[in-house]
Amino acid sequence: MISPQVILALGTALAAVGIWWLLPGSSMQKRTLGGVLALVGLACFGSQVPAVGDWFTKGMFHAIAGATIVAAVATISFRSPVYCAIWFGMTLTGTAGLFLLAGAEFLAVATLVVYAGAILVTFLFVLMLSQPEGHTSYDRRSWEPMISAFTGAILVGILTTMIGSAVTKAEAAQAANSAAAVTSTADGSAPAAATSAPYTISRLGAELFTRYLVAVEAAGALLFAALVGAAVIVTQGRAAMKRPGITPEGGTAHAS
Amino acid sequence: MPPELAALHSFLAIGAVLFGVGLIGFLSRRNMIVMFLSVEMMLQGVSLSLVAWGRYHNDLGGQMLVVFIIAVAACEAAIALALVLMLFERKNHLDIAMWQELRESNQPLFEEEPLPPQSDEEPAHWPHLTPAGVLPESVAEKESFRRKV
Repeated sequence: MISPQVILALGTALAAVGIWWLLPGSSMQKRTLGGVLALVGLACFGSQVPAVGDWFTKGMFHAIAGATIVAAVATISFRSPVYCAIWFGMTLTGTAGLFLLAGAEFLAVATLVVYAGAILVTFLFVLMLSQPEGHTSYDRRSWEPMISAFTGAILVGILTTMIGSAVTKAEAAQAANSAAAVTSTADGSAPAAATSAPYTISRLGAELFTRYLVAVEAAGALLFAALVGAAVIVTQGRAAMKRPGITPEGGTAHAS
Repeated sequence: MPPELAALHSFLAIGAVLFGVGLIGFLSRRNMIVMFLSVEMMLQGVSLSLVAWGRYHNDLGGQMLVVFIIAVAACEAAIALALVLMLFERKNHLDIAMWQELRESNQPLFEEEPLPPQSDEEPAHWPHLTPAGVLPESVAEKESFRRKV
């Protein structure tokens, strides 16, 4: 029996090498190999992630989580930014599915409508306004792919190991607690998730417009300020470019 | 393992992975729009962790925070995309390396590595449709507006 820490460390190392080779700038063979390595690393992670429920819920959870992470890796490794944006839409869809599994129905719908429906389409608009044809030179290279891949992977490895140990500790504490107070119904550390009513959108709405009313108003003001700010940035920027002294540089942006 | 702890564990792990992948993308990609997509992906990871914690503590605060994260992300996208458009109009590139004059004065100049060879299976030029019908006469004014693509 290999200890979970060893499997997590192995998965981290494999995923780091895989993502390093997947990032733009490598040859095709290296990218294929990197994809395989990243998948093996992901499987190592997946074997350590517990899932609850019957086989259907478990399978659903693993399928959605796997699709989300594969789409996330594809988002950062495709060379054409349009493909990146479309894979990011896949990531968002997967996240919405995970929200649904976590019992956050409103957030699942809001993620799809606001993120995938509005923000992502704005991204695609900006890409169409500014992206030259084909793969540009800067999309075919990346900054220090090895260092950044290992930085991210080590961060994830540390985080998951810490989450695992903290959960084990909480489990032990909970077991000790329930053993000490078998008859007592008051259990300090255990959450009441199993006993209380499930979340409903009406509960969320009631909470949002009573306890968080000031925050809603502030968010509205923020949205208005962002709208004005975006308009000002574009109009003032264009006006500044017409002034003498500032000239657009660069020339053609062709794939070379 | 109790089910609520197991659910918390799995959702936190996925949130961490999404955050890490977004971090790698932000650090390594050079296209400003892809960098921004990576930041949004990091936000998704954080949102997932918040929802998991809210579910574990049976508190709506986590979900509420994610509602505001979505609102702030919409603001951020509006401002950042306006900035990216303006930066693009200045330099005609989405490359973040074009702005390296903003670096600290004691930092060295970034040197370009040689481009990796274009692989065979992808065309250097994408296919075009065969032209059909009459070519519309070009107006010089309109042609000057059109960006070089």
